[in-house]
Amino acid sequence: MSTDRLRIGVVGGGAFGRGVAKAASRTGHEVTLWSRRAGAVDDARIRVSAELADLAAAELIFLAVPSHVAEQVATELGEHLDGGHLLAHVSRGLVGDALEPVSSVIRRLTPVRRVGALAGPLVADALALGTPSGAVVGSHFPEVADAVREAIAGPSLRLYATDDIVGVEVASALVGLLALAVGHAQARGVGPAALATFLTRGMAEASRLAERLGGDPKTLAGLAGYGDLLAVMAGDERPEQAVGRALAEGRPLLEATRDAGGYIEGVTIAERVVTFAAREGIEVPICDAIARVLAGRPAAEVLQSLMVRSAGGE
Amino acid sequence: MKLKALRALSERPIRLPRLRPYVPQPDDPPIFWFDGERKDIVREVARRVTARHTADRRRMELVLNETALAEIRRLESQRDAEAAERLPFWRGLARSIARLDDAQKRDAVRDIVTRYAEDVAGNFDPRVYRLAKHAVPKLLTGVMAPSRLPEELATAVDGHTLIGELLQVEGDLHRLRHLEKVGTLVYVPTHSSNLDSVVIGRALEQVGLSPVIYGAGKNLFTNPMISFFMHNLGAYRVDRRVQARVYKEVLKVFSQVMIERGYHSLFFPGGTRSRSNLIESHLKLGLAGSALSAFAHNRVRGVDRPVWFVPTTINYELVLEGETLVEDWLKDEGKARYIIEDDEFSRLDRWIAFFRKIVGLKAACIIRFGDPIDCFGNPTDDEGRSLGPSGRSIDAGSYVERRGVPVEDAARDAAYTRELADVLVARFRQDTVLMATSLVAHVLFRRLVRETPGLDLFARLRVRGEVALPRTELAAEVGALRDRLVALQSEGVVRVSDTVRDAEPAALVDRALAVWNGYHQRVAARALDATITAEDPTLLLYYQNRLVPFANLLVTDEADRAAAQEIARIGGARPLLGTALAARSA
Repeated sequence: MSTDRLRIGVVGGGAFGRGVAKAASRTGHEVTLWSRRAGAVDDARIRVSAELADLAAAELIFLAVPSHVAEQVATELGEHLDGGHLLAHVSRGLVGDALEPVSSVIRRLTPVRRVGALAGPLVADALALGTPSGAVVGSHFPEVADAVREAIAGPSLRLYATDDIVGVEVASALVGLLALAVGHAQARGVGPAALATFLTRGMAEASRLAERLGGDPKTLAGLAGYGDLLAVMAGDERPEQAVGRALAEGRPLLEATRDAGGYIEGVTIAERVVTFAAREGIEVPICDAIARVLAGRPAAEVLQSLMVRSAGGE
Repeated sequence: MKLKALRALSERPIRLPRLRPYVPQPDDPPIFWFDGERKDIVREVARRVTARHTADRRRMELVLNETALAEIRRLESQRDAEAAERLPFWRGLARSIARLDDAQKRDAVRDIVTRYAEDVAGNFDPRVYRLAKHAVPKLLTGVMAPSRLPEELATAVDGHTLIGELLQVEGDLHRLRHLEKVGTLVYVPTHSSNLDSVVIGRALEQVGLSPVIYGAGKNLFTNPMISFFMHNLGAYRVDRRVQARVYKEVLKVFSQVMIERGYHSLFFPGGTRSRSNLIESHLKLGLAGSALSAFAHNRVRGVDRPVWFVPTTINYELVLEGETLVEDWLKDEGKARYIIEDDEFSRLDRWIAFFRKIVGLKAACIIRFGDPIDCFGNPTDDEGRSLGPSGRSIDAGSYVERRGVPVEDAARDAAYTRELADVLVARFRQDTVLMATSLVAHVLFRRLVRETPGLDLFARLRVRGEVALPRTELAAEVGALRDRLVALQSEGVVRVSDTVRDAEPAALVDRALAVWNGYHQRVAARALDATITAEDPTLLLYYQNRLVPFANLLVTDEADRAAAQEIARIGGARPLLGTALAARSA
């Protein structure tokens, strides 16, 4: 690891943004966190700014905003960046009806080309506290993965790299969706075998989507896909799971998402995945089932319709 | 012995003797300097490639073994005169590698690399260029319309020529003429025919743009006449049979050094002619990537010489080798023979038939130079400055910087190149100029698909002469298709030729039938009384394939919807997903 201090910018004062800022600052780098809230972070070494222009001086920028504001933030941020910046996003969403990966949004709306996606079982708390964890950086550019490593990896964080950025982004988004189903199923007392079948077939759907969007289905077997899903099963208590549980308990969706912390990527993506898949001729019965439950259909009926589908080759 | 001499004629560069070296004039295009720099360039290429492989003994052994093995394998299967001459060398080398000391190994690597570089490097002779400039159009006129020859011989150099009428050149030529003076242009055209390099050379000349250097397959050098012109007009030789990795490196570095020095270049990013006539959607950009490395290399040395890519489409009303190419595509979809040596291009009678057929057709070939983009897919303004998404100008040099300093990085450049390919694919779609033959073929083929539901592509291609429609109905459908395309053109989605835009639909039908019939050996569509019959689905498929990416947008009658959807899937056409960069640049 280089001893040079990197200038790092973090966009987004949410839990993940703050976690990245803390991890990078702990590694000894110079960190500027963009957040609309003053005092977003309790670390004197981290400079907090409400001006995106202040990030122009950064060499590596982490974009940690929800996917539904990615376009807006990228447009504003793009005004201050050029081809020299490296950028990694941590979004777990896909944008719009075309399920556009966030990396693609960044390339469309900013001059930045050297883009990466950070994903996997890594959660905000692990970053902030430095507890052992692992993640993967997807990027066509090896230097992006190297820079992210330099910024936040260390004895407690193992960072792997792949050039299949789209695969990483699709995996990350679809695991978020499945995490909802995990919360829901666990609350309803669905047994391990049924849940495992459901999730494995869900991951098969994710592979098909990844492939259609230009990713490699094999990436789903890595940290961004199964790695992340195993962390859900091991009980990393992420917001999607909490929403799923609340829904199973009969609480309305709005209330459930509010209690889980606001914007939940997995909730918004279900319907769009189903529409996209129908248009592209891809079979996604699991995603469709989750979408129907989110739309308020009785879970028992939905599950029943899944069970009576004819099972084909795996 | 005699045979050997003949072969040497065709395979070795024939150069005209020159007593005094040519002294380039200030207004001469960069390529006029090449003759003086050639030696220096070959030496530089050899030096760089050698340096990569001679850092330690292990690497030297690796490259020697690998190259010897690849060359022995190639020559053994070639079994020609070259094999007889070179096989003993490679076999000898393979046997002796282990016994060579380090200095000898280094020499061996350098010798091999230098020999490759010499073989690749072309030549440029201003006298041959001037000869070609004046004589070739007249020669072609002589073939196509002998009656016009006296008239053309009498006119001034830039007078109205038959070739000028046949070939229409479009695009922001004013901007290109400016940019070629302040930076290096890299033309990246679509590729349909072996005529392409001739046609584009002629197009550049016609509109006052500098000649370019380009790599031509060694198979094109077997005809002594063509070989002579190629050698002396800036073409460098690419021998696709040579599989040795170090040879490919030599090619890349050669092209990189040329671009670093400001030689305008041309690459066919599709690699080979589009067998199917589909607009290319899988670009390899292999050699074109060297343009980016050249830009980075110059930046690192503090040289600010911009490089721009010019996406270019070459559009034919009639494709010389169409019939052979489409057969090849269908025979082995995806696994095409890489080098076809027995197609129409190598047959003089086909050339004559081709040119006789297109004579009198205004704009039988349209070359469209698209707006230049930088090496990173960004659009540029009139001065060539790169533009960000909001229209703000940005420094292209920043893309090769790391922590504020320009650096060379092969992996980074490979990634940029890959993304550039997406931008080019989008540009090709947008800038392809659709011709009458494509429209008429699309209407006929769509009708064939509509009337043969449930058949697969191959079964459909056997439905010959069974689908017919009244001439008036065909003309009406062609008219509706044309109107739809003109509307899409105003949205910037497609482009049509002036003929397609302005002519009566019935005239478009007549034009297409006249062009096909009598040139192609098979009859694409037959007109009998007032009925037009789809005679040869394969040819119709070939010509209509240019419209595949737009098929779903072109439906004006709902009865055609299902057929259009099927057509849209031809060739596994993938929608441009996740290529936001492409959308932005477009």
